[in-house]
Amino acid sequence: MAEISIELRNVTKIFDGDFVAVNNVNLSIEKGEFFSLLGPSGCGKTTILRMISGLEEPTKGEVILNGRVINDLPPNKREVNTVFQNYALFPHLTVFENIAFSLRIKRKSEAEIKKKVMDMIDLMRLNGHENKKPSQLSGGQKQRVAIARALVNEPSVLLLDEPLAALDAKLRQHMLIELDNIHDEVGITFIYVTHDQSEALSISDHLAVMNEGKIIQVGTPVQVYESPANLFVANFIGETNFIQGIVEKVEGNYILLKTEKLGEIWCYRDFEVKIGEKINVSIRPEKLKITIEKPSEEVLKNSFVNVFKGIVSERIYLGTHSNYIVSIDQGYQMKVYRQHIRYLLDENIIDWNDEVYVWWFADDSYLIKD
Amino acid sequence: MERTKRFLGFVLSFPGIIWLTLFFLLPTTIIVVYSFMTPGPYGGAYLPFTLKYYKMMITNQGFWILFMRTVVISVISTGICLALALPVAYYIATSKYKNFLLSLVIIPFWTNFLVRIFGWLVILGNNGLINRVLMYLHIIDKPVSLMYNQWSVILVIVYMYLPYMILPLYSSIEKFDFHLLEAAMDLGASRTKTIFSVLLPSIKGGISAGIVLVLIPVLGSYAIPDLVGGKDGAMLGNLIARQLTTARNWPLSSAISMIFLLISTVGLLVYLKFGEVRNRRNRVIYEDYIKEETNKIG
Amino acid sequence: MDKEFNVLGKRRFSFIMTLLIMIFFYLPIAMLIALSFNSARQGVIWTGFTLKWYSVLFRDDEIWRAFLNTVIIALTSSTVATAIGVLSAIGIYWHNFRLKRYFQALIYTPLIVPDILMGVSMLMFFVSLRIQLGLFTIFIAHVTFSISYVILIVIARLEDFDYSIIEAAQDLGASWYQIFFKIIIPMIKPAIIASFLLSITLSIDDFVITFFVAGPGSTTLPLQIYSMIKFGVSPEINALSTLLIGATFIISIFGLRFRKLIFS
Repeated sequence: MAEISIELRNVTKIFDGDFVAVNNVNLSIEKGEFFSLLGPSGCGKTTILRMISGLEEPTKGEVILNGRVINDLPPNKREVNTVFQNYALFPHLTVFENIAFSLRIKRKSEAEIKKKVMDMIDLMRLNGHENKKPSQLSGGQKQRVAIARALVNEPSVLLLDEPLAALDAKLRQHMLIELDNIHDEVGITFIYVTHDQSEALSISDHLAVMNEGKIIQVGTPVQVYESPANLFVANFIGETNFIQGIVEKVEGNYILLKTEKLGEIWCYRDFEVKIGEKINVSIRPEKLKITIEKPSEEVLKNSFVNVFKGIVSERIYLGTHSNYIVSIDQGYQMKVYRQHIRYLLDENIIDWNDEVYVWWFADDSYLIKD
Repeated sequence: MERTKRFLGFVLSFPGIIWLTLFFLLPTTIIVVYSFMTPGPYGGAYLPFTLKYYKMMITNQGFWILFMRTVVISVISTGICLALALPVAYYIATSKYKNFLLSLVIIPFWTNFLVRIFGWLVILGNNGLINRVLMYLHIIDKPVSLMYNQWSVILVIVYMYLPYMILPLYSSIEKFDFHLLEAAMDLGASRTKTIFSVLLPSIKGGISAGIVLVLIPVLGSYAIPDLVGGKDGAMLGNLIARQLTTARNWPLSSAISMIFLLISTVGLLVYLKFGEVRNRRNRVIYEDYIKEETNKIG
Repeated sequence: MDKEFNVLGKRRFSFIMTLLIMIFFYLPIAMLIALSFNSARQGVIWTGFTLKWYSVLFRDDEIWRAFLNTVIIALTSSTVATAIGVLSAIGIYWHNFRLKRYFQALIYTPLIVPDILMGVSMLMFFVSLRIQLGLFTIFIAHVTFSISYVILIVIARLEDFDYSIIEAAQDLGASWYQIFFKIIIPMIKPAIIASFLLSITLSIDDFVITFFVAGPGSTTLPLQIYSMIKFGVSPEINALSTLLIGATFIISIFGLRFRKLIFS
């Protein structure tokens, strides 16, 4: 078991006496990991971050840093630093002085300040910008100053509150890779708050999905994406097709589900189910196959395959792939993604109004409790 | 931490709260209380409480004449200010040289209050510019009295308060998105109709701010009617001062002042409602300065 | 911008109005300047150039005394008003304490009440408390009407900044004391300078309130000008007016330019 860096025990935060922002949250974050809090806006993720930094006090419960309860420690006494969403750089100080701020507060010697700040400037590749004011920097540079300013003090945990939200899409990708490198370099715990599922999936060691003040699921990105704990997680992280049904038959590792929308479908038995139980199945659009021809005999030999006929009711071409909405005979609209590997060569182009087959193996779906 | 901040916030505001309570709220309350009291022989106000001076105000014909004159002068002056300020603010806001034109409006505005009134005495006086010019042109052969009437008061009020009207109008016209005019004209409206139906409604805030900024201080005018109004141009402000200093009737003076207190309260509500608590006096120029500094820093 | 001019039309009417208003604004000022160099004792007829009214003015002890009083009041009242106003603005910004609504009403009302109301109420207040009218009462009055302006300017400036800047400073280890001196004060420096300058301007210009709360021996320049206008116009006043107008011009230009000297 790895050492624990931050632990939250039964933490609740109530604002103005009646708004429950965080509801009885338990969480432990390992030392040195990159942990993300993911959820829609207003789900309480930023409040958790602010309770760790000390900017908010928990109404109930304990915040524990390196084995010590820090509830009563003011933010200026915590070994935790924050990168704020809008950078919050001091407008009247230069880049150098912004980074040096916490060292000057601690009355470090001039030589030490100079060395540490310059190290940070090197690490963040801010060389040549030392004497600029924040207003003279680009968004990405401001971001790097904010990170450098938070890291120079060598905190044991770095908190990042949607740090990439203000950047444009391209730069965001770039900064994400850079953040990952910085994390490898400094080796401390990073807690990253975001509402963007692709950011959280791509960078985290573990992530917690939150909704309405509660933690819904904690796990690795693969666990959370492939085995969502409930409908909310499945829906919030990535696109999916939900089908509700009643268990009709159990055959070894597979079950036959009787659904209103698609009739009978085979699903993998991800957990114990009883016959007659109401259950949901999530089928990710990228796991569905879409073809003009009927699937080959070889495929159909597999008894746990689901094949449906339908008509393409919408197609969105996105370069790397196309998103289809296929109207299945019974009237159910299914989302299907199709990669374009050999698009203009020998790939069969499927377009609007084409009659198609949509099919998937029972193993590719995932059951979710109702 | 939160508690410390709350405490510090209170401590920091404390001197300001105390100062304004002691030297603004308390004196204003004194006026309210004194207006119900009995005058002393050498000023001051004493018990018993009485409504005598309110009754006197309501029944005295001389007071009503003065009151009506004050209202009429103020409303006419404010109306003239608005009528003159609209085209000027519009021109400045749409000009390439708006900063230069704006400073031309602000400089006289910054010039000493009394000096500017005095300038008009020199123009309107019996020996003044207008009489001299008219005599030179043989339109008149002896000086006519241009001062000490209501019209000279209105003229000088308009002169003094026009910038108070131009500046808020300017800032709301400047914020106006002129593409809306394009859109309206594109939809077939004529230019005049566009200005009246699109521009004017969108600068309502500026217009009401301007009216409040001009009307309320003008109602309380003292120096202008005192210097250019004479007997026929006197206003309520002069009556208050006379009751206070010459007649030494503090309660009556306070009772009349209550009118201004009421008007100010209504004005404050209008003012707060329309948001723009700014632009009174020279603030505009400092605001530009702050804005530039802000851009530089952050 | 050019495109907008099409929409606006030629703006002939508004141009003529602006031109006339500018003449209206500057005619009295120009008259005073011209007359201050006119040798005639009375009237507007030009009888020759002279500087004698200026030399009379400079030898006038009363003017010098009034000038000195004005400077003393302006400097002291703006310093105190700026200090109190800046602290109050930061206090309000830091926290919504219980008295905040009351305080806001207290800040806005002085901006709107007519000067005469403030003057009369203060006079009654000081006399009732048996406080000797003089420079001290003028000082109190000037601080009172300046504070509201200072608070508004500083609050506007503070609101330009995101509160997370304060949180960032806390997060980086600063105490409230350090946040005050190392973050807030430097950040609002332009607003502090601007409110100080504005308070000075308001103080130098005020006539009505000063008129009521002044006592013997505490004449300020506006009061001096008033009595010169009221009790016998001497050409000296033209010279004084011209100097004040000149000072206004210089301050205006300085006010627009000086920032470069301080903040480069």
